[in-house]
Amino acid sequence: MKDQECLSCHTMNSEQPQPMPQKKSRIREFTKGFITENPTFIIVLGLCPTLSVSTQVSNGLGMGLAATFVLFFSNIIISSLRKVIPDSIHIPAYIVIISTLVTLIQMFLQAYMPALNDALGVYLPLIVVNCIILGRAEAFAKYNCVADSALDGLGMGLGLTMNLVVISLIREVIGNGTITFFPTKNWNGVIHIPLFGTYPVRVLAASAGALLLMGYLMPLFKDLVDKVEAKK
Amino acid sequence: MTKNVRYTLILFIICAVCAFVLAVANSIFNPIIVQHQLETTQAALKPLAGGYTVGGEVEVSGNDNVAGEYRLTDGGNVVGYILSLKGQGYGGAFTMLASYRNDGEILAAKMMTDSETPGLGKKSEEDWYMKKFVGTGTKGKPVPTTKTKLSKEDSDAISGASVTFGGVSKTLAAGAAYVQAKGGVQ
Repeated sequence: MKDQECLSCHTMNSEQPQPMPQKKSRIREFTKGFITENPTFIIVLGLCPTLSVSTQVSNGLGMGLAATFVLFFSNIIISSLRKVIPDSIHIPAYIVIISTLVTLIQMFLQAYMPALNDALGVYLPLIVVNCIILGRAEAFAKYNCVADSALDGLGMGLGLTMNLVVISLIREVIGNGTITFFPTKNWNGVIHIPLFGTYPVRVLAASAGALLLMGYLMPLFKDLVDKVEAKK
Repeated sequence: MTKNVRYTLILFIICAVCAFVLAVANSIFNPIIVQHQLETTQAALKPLAGGYTVGGEVEVSGNDNVAGEYRLTDGGNVVGYILSLKGQGYGGAFTMLASYRNDGEILAAKMMTDSETPGLGKKSEEDWYMKKFVGTGTKGKPVPTTKTKLSKEDSDAISGASVTFGGVSKTLAAGAAYVQAKGGVQ
C-alpha cells in the first residue's frame, strides 16, 4: 500500500490552504474510534481483556487508559519511523516498541497504583499482543503522518476506554450493587447502589455475564451506528 | 551493505533505544515500587502478629504454597510463624499472609492480592471471611477444606464462590502443615 499523503502536510506545502477539509478530516480521525470504527463493538478487536477486566469500573477505566497511553505513543513512534522500518522486519520492530511502552505503563502502575496493577493482572502485559494496538499500527500508523496517527491512537484508545467503562458499569452495578472508583486517603472508592446491593444479578459479575452483555450491546451499538450513518 | 545486515542494524538500534528508555524508567520507578511493597507488607504483618514480635522475612523454596516466613517470638521463644502464601483461586493466582502457632493453629489471615470475582470470590478480602479459619489448622481441628465442613451460616456466606474457598482453605491447610513440620524449631 502506498504511503498516504498527510492532509496537514499537504496543506502546509500547498499554495492554496484548505483549512476546512483538513479540520474535518482531523475531527474524523479522532471521533471514528467512538462510533463508526469503535474497536469493541464494530471492529470487534481486543475482546479478551474487555471481557475479563470489566468486573469493576476502576479496572475498566485503568485498562482503558493504559491501552490509550500505549496506542497514542505507539502510533506516534511507528508513524515517525514508517520510512525507516522495512516491511520485512516491521512486526518484530513494532512488538519491541509496543512492549517497551507497556512495560513503562506497568512500572508506573506498580509504583503509584499497585492495587490496579494487581487487579489487571496478566491482561496488562498482554496489551503487547492486543489486536487493537498492533491492528492500528498495521492498518493506520504505518501509512499515515504523525498527527493523524496520534489522533487515531487517541480516539481509538478513548473509544476503548468508553466501552470498558460502560461494560464495567453495567456489570458491577447489576451484578454486585456497587460502583468502584480509585480509592483516596479518606474514601475507599466504592459507591453502594441500594436495590442491586440487596438483590444483585450475580451472573453479570461472572465471566458468562460478560459474554451475555456483549451479545446485547453489540447489536444495540450497531443499530446506533446505522442510524447515525443513515442521517448522513 | 547487504539487506540483511541493514535489517539487523535497524532492529538492533530500535532494541538499544528501547532498552535505554526502560533502564532509565526502572531507575526511577524501582525504588518507589520496593518501598511501597515493604510498607504494604509491614502494614499487613502488624495485625497478624497477635502482639508477638515479628522477625525478618526468610525466603522458602521448594514448597508449592509457602513463599516465605516470618518468625513470631515472645521473649526470645519462637511461638509461631507468619507465612507468605500463594494459591490458585477462580480468577487465577492469589497471595495471602497468615499467622500460625507452632501446632499449626491459625491466628489470623489476610488476602493480599487476587483477581477473584466481585461479589463472589472477592469476599475473601473481607475480615469476616478469614475468621472462619481462625482456631483451625491443628491435628485435632484441621482447616475446613470443603463447604460440608462448615456451619450452614458459613456455607451460605461463601455460596457461589466454591473455587475461591477451596483455593484459600487448601493454601491455609498447606501453611498449617508446613508450620507443624517445623515444630517451632528453626
